[in-house]
Amino acid sequence: MATVSVKHLSKVFPSSKKGGPPVRAINDVSFELSGQVFVSIVGPSGCGKSTLLNILSGVDTPSAGSVEVTQDGRPAQRGYVFQDPRLLPWRTVMQNMLYVSDLPEVEARTNARVYLDMVGLPVSDDLFPRQLSGGMQQRVGIARAFSVSPDILLMDEPFSHLDAITARSLRLQLQEIWSQTRKTVVFVTHDVVEAVQLSDRVIIMEHGGRIFDDMEIDLPHPRRAADASVAMKQVEILGMFEQMVEQTESAQGEPKRAV
Amino acid sequence: MTVDTASLGSARKTGGPWRTVWKVVSSPRAARPAAYLAAFLGWMLLAALRPRVPTPWKVFEFLWIELTGGSHGGVLKGQWAHHVAITMERFGIGLVISFVIGLAVGVLIGSSRYAHALLNDTLMVFLALPAIIWAFITVIWFGLGNQAPVWTTVLTAFPFVSVNIVHGVQAITPDLRMMSHSFGVSSYRRLRHLILPAITGYVFAGLRFAVIVGWNGVLLAEWFGSADGVGWRTRYWYDAARYQGFVGWVLLFLVIIILIDRWILAPMERRAFRWRDVHRDKITIQERPEALGAA
Repeated sequence: MATVSVKHLSKVFPSSKKGGPPVRAINDVSFELSGQVFVSIVGPSGCGKSTLLNILSGVDTPSAGSVEVTQDGRPAQRGYVFQDPRLLPWRTVMQNMLYVSDLPEVEARTNARVYLDMVGLPVSDDLFPRQLSGGMQQRVGIARAFSVSPDILLMDEPFSHLDAITARSLRLQLQEIWSQTRKTVVFVTHDVVEAVQLSDRVIIMEHGGRIFDDMEIDLPHPRRAADASVAMKQVEILGMFEQMVEQTESAQGEPKRAV
Repeated sequence: MTVDTASLGSARKTGGPWRTVWKVVSSPRAARPAAYLAAFLGWMLLAALRPRVPTPWKVFEFLWIELTGGSHGGVLKGQWAHHVAITMERFGIGLVISFVIGLAVGVLIGSSRYAHALLNDTLMVFLALPAIIWAFITVIWFGLGNQAPVWTTVLTAFPFVSVNIVHGVQAITPDLRMMSHSFGVSSYRRLRHLILPAITGYVFAGLRFAVIVGWNGVLLAEWFGSADGVGWRTRYWYDAARYQGFVGWVLLFLVIIILIDRWILAPMERRAFRWRDVHRDKITIQERPEALGAA
């Protein structure tokens, strides 16, 4: 279980147009989280949530402020699940699992099997990614992220490219795996409903890269989308979210479809 | 060639014998023999029009004597195995060296902007220099023997391997690079499992060019600076004004190039692309039942 400490984080990108003003993706964001928590970062497209995740993962660097992702004072081991599966198409499922593993080969194989089994793909070792459906490929991506025994798991809209039914079953499965392994999870999504179903805490970001709200979701796991308590919480937060989006739109003076 | 008798029968009913002939000739299976036949007829025509061009019969007769070790008249005896073997050896060594150099240079230029700025123009110069220049230069450097043909092969072939691999490395998706980066995959593993497989198609394209221009190089170097080998033997008959011998050897090395492509490169390529040729509908994997529809 990792500790994440974000202090006055800002990220500025140079303008894509020559001579244009720089783009402020994240603007003075601070939060802390630690322990066995599932935290979602929700926001409309372009609010800086993916940039934030990239900085947490170490792929990108802050322009100002500090970010620490630690485990007992040392840098935390990170696992990453992407929007698309990002498997090596020319390697089998098992070879894809071994690609990211630091264990000796025999142990790595046993370890990979445990996690492939956990995501419901026990006999896929020798198949190439092309032979799997999109949902199954994403399961391999999830198994891969868990298999490196991460202290923290970073997930970037992992279900947004899947059909609704597959996404629903994977959400349940993720909760199941999470309750078995109890990792620290930071989950980025534009889907408030999904965030409420999965998380203990939801951080809502608004346009301009600021935190709009930060709230606890105190409901027992696993949560099904059809549970009344979950549904009520979802409606409540969705209401807030839409209000926020409308405010931003009227402040900017131009209507934008954000959600 | 096998002919489908059922379709022959129906063709006879509907369009007569010409239609049948057309059907056979226009099928894709007939296209390759048709190409060979057209080339052969073109050759016969050329031989009939130009007196210096030997007829196919003369060339085949020559090749028969050369390949069976018979007498060309006087003290001249047919010989070939020694020349083909020594040329293949020089060519093989040259090709392996040019593949290694080409791969290293290509990966370097493709993955480093600094290396690209430093070396890319030089690579273009190498690409533009014809084999005959290298043949002369290496003969001046190394004199008669094995060195000149081997190094001519290397110097003409490796830029073609490199330039293809540069494009291959640059085409690797940033998504997979970023994935590897975020999982902290070592650079050796990245090279072996990400970069090399990703550029396989480009490697084969490069190898095909390398075989063709390298073969050019080895023959030219032997022509000018060797006392044996396919290139030397070809020149020998050219100098002796036995044009059937010259054409016969040209034909022989064309056959060798085609066989290298068919028997060595094509099967290697099929094996390397197994992952791409697998089909979704062949799989029988079952997802765990409780994972499905659990919501």
